[in-house]
Amino acid sequence: MLGPYLDGELEAATFIELDEHVGSCDTCREETKLLSAMRGSLKRVLRTSPPGALRERIGNAMRAERVREARSHAETDVLGAGTLPVRLASWRTMAPLATAAAFALLWGALSRSPQAASSGARASFGEDLLAELVAEHSRPLPPDATGPEAVRKLGRYVDVPVRPASFERGGARFVGGRVMPLRSQRAAVLQYIIGTGDDAPRVSVVVYDARKIQIDSASLSPRAVGTAEVRVGREKGYSVAVAQRGGVGYLVTSDLDPDNSAQLAAMVYDDR
Amino acid sequence: MAPPTGTEQDGDSFAEEALTHLDAMYGVACKLTRNPTEAEDLVQDAFVKAMRGRHQFHAGTNLKAWLFRILTNTFINKYRRGGLERSVLEGPDADPLADAWVSASTMRQLRDPETQALMPIVEREIQQAFDALPTDFRLAVALCDVEEFSYEEIAQIMGCPIGTVMSRLHRGRKLLQRALYNHALALGIVKGEERIGAPSEGAAETPKTADLAEYRARKRGAA
Repeated sequence: MLGPYLDGELEAATFIELDEHVGSCDTCREETKLLSAMRGSLKRVLRTSPPGALRERIGNAMRAERVREARSHAETDVLGAGTLPVRLASWRTMAPLATAAAFALLWGALSRSPQAASSGARASFGEDLLAELVAEHSRPLPPDATGPEAVRKLGRYVDVPVRPASFERGGARFVGGRVMPLRSQRAAVLQYIIGTGDDAPRVSVVVYDARKIQIDSASLSPRAVGTAEVRVGREKGYSVAVAQRGGVGYLVTSDLDPDNSAQLAAMVYDDR
Repeated sequence: MAPPTGTEQDGDSFAEEALTHLDAMYGVACKLTRNPTEAEDLVQDAFVKAMRGRHQFHAGTNLKAWLFRILTNTFINKYRRGGLERSVLEGPDADPLADAWVSASTMRQLRDPETQALMPIVEREIQQAFDALPTDFRLAVALCDVEEFSYEEIAQIMGCPIGTVMSRLHRGRKLLQRALYNHALALGIVKGEERIGAPSEGAAETPKTADLAEYRARKRGAA
């Protein structure tokens, strides 16, 4: 009874009863004091402090969880409500499955190869470049490269090495890529289709050397998606998202809504 | 920068509020795992799970207790497949001497008369005595005496009835008292004495399981 008494867990009537008793009983009073002393000691002696780095580490882990969650929502949206099998595979667990369609996403990594250090004036484009890139998406030329080797070779033309990678997403397919001249520069454009049919949504990813081509546009607003910084907007009814990392730029244009384009751009940015 | 979307914003504020309980969570994780490195992993797992399940948490209710429930469940799933270990000391017949206690004067000697706290030389033993407790007792004592949760909250956190909480607290504290007494005895601070099997001074309310049953019956009647 003394435990609940000290813990403040007794009802008023019982408490008063016991309180009176404790006042007149040595054994109970001493035990009460001992319990109380023990509690004080426990609080004092058992006090721990987490290591300084733990808070940040956990904060990052929680943020990563939120990003993962947002992506799995994006995937659900991207693949359409219920019409396609949704594979909620994590971006990082890339276990190839023979039966699943592969959504091949290429990204460039800045390398020290001589090709990367090419001459050429910086070109800064605004609205018109954006319009051009989106026009490419809306009326795409047929791809030249469809196999991984051929796609890798595109890197030679765009001065940015292009590395194929794939992960599972249900129902989305890499269609192919080609070089796309951009004024005096060149970029690689990769086309994807989600699902089948004439109305299937498409995604185009333009990969370019960000040191030479700058896409500045007032119609793109910066947005943080998880740990990535992307710029998102709409152009001619398509949604556009731009991400940049390691000197390589990625412009994602799609038939989807801006949130999904932003997610896709963030995926490219985040992948290491 | 554009304002964050709904998901990002509620995630951020949730994380911020949850992390105010980091120190307490880490403390209890240490007491559960008895290993600081494992405690870090356990706490991280718990916070990530909390983030994942944050929509199941009703804003305005007790976040701290909710987090601790997740911590406890994560611990059980990871380390104790069968649940918190069943102490051999559970049950009415388990160790009747646990309730027998020493005289008032002996108890008084364990405390410093000026500060009312435990004698430092006795207090030194408490970390070891605490670590040696069976896990379910240790957790109950940590949640009540260190983190100051209510019995109701502890019952939710540990996933057991309030009666079990009270029993675990009672027995855990008794074990601690006994360890401290033995320690003081070994140091010669107190003189050994006959264990008292029955109350000898007045209506000494030395808690026994019978009283516990009475208390519960009374509580049920009054509820």
